[in-house]
Amino acid sequence: MARMKFICDAERCIECNGCVTACKNEHEVPWGVNRRRLVTVNDGKPGERSISVACMHCSDAPCMAVCPVDCFYKTEEGIVLHDKDLCIGCGYCFYACPFGAPQFPQAGAFGLRGKMDKCTYCAGGPEANNTAEEYKKYGRNRLAEGKLPACAEMCSTKALLAGDHDSITSIYKTRVSRRGKGEEVWGWAMAYGQGTEKITGDAKGGTKA
Amino acid sequence: MKRIFATMTGVAATALLAGGCTEIDQTAKTQKVYAGKKDERPYDGKTFGDDKAKWQQALAERNRGQNEYLRTEPAKK
Repeated sequence: MARMKFICDAERCIECNGCVTACKNEHEVPWGVNRRRLVTVNDGKPGERSISVACMHCSDAPCMAVCPVDCFYKTEEGIVLHDKDLCIGCGYCFYACPFGAPQFPQAGAFGLRGKMDKCTYCAGGPEANNTAEEYKKYGRNRLAEGKLPACAEMCSTKALLAGDHDSITSIYKTRVSRRGKGEEVWGWAMAYGQGTEKITGDAKGGTKA
Repeated sequence: MKRIFATMTGVAATALLAGGCTEIDQTAKTQKVYAGKKDERPYDGKTFGDDKAKWQQALAERNRGQNEYLRTEPAKK
């Protein structure tokens, strides 16, 4: 299995916020914390596009590089997770992240920040799989149940794809070859390295441009 | 005496100015190592019983569910 990634198809996203709601509900995310959110450009004008944004689980994650307490780790599947027992809520990861993924709950008065919270790719954290402790700190561990992230599985238009790189790029290539446009994948070059912003070609022999 | 003092001041000022142009290397000198608790693998535990292939099969099934072309068009025989 290749590494896990997200693709958001801007041609298909209808800004329904189903992914945002699914994530909130699945993990009982508190008020003020949005692990996933929708960004709309050219709102109300021709060419309007919406994109669902969360942690992209970058290949070379800047949050990992700047963390002063080294609380981040990467799983075998390429998912970037963190240990909340170590996090000191300094906010460095928030400044480093190009997607604004790290979120901080308001833990008290005077803007005091709590421990960082972000998308876990529905893979929980460093606690025993599917335990109450894991759920309380990181939310549900769907991956350990053999399921994909709730946001992607809930997406009504299948604009948001999640899963193993080879599978989701194959699905995306089929779409691009059928509709003949929209090969740009938002955020891919930033998250997974230069030269992967477009996925073109047919499903069988497509190339990454 | 005055001349020596002026020369020394000049040298010191030049060194200070040149020092301002030096670029300090910002790359980390040490490898970042995760300092937290060890995590379990997703297929560890009673659901998949440490069977990676079974877990991958379950995920592949879910992945196929994301491709609506497979649902709307019958498979070619």
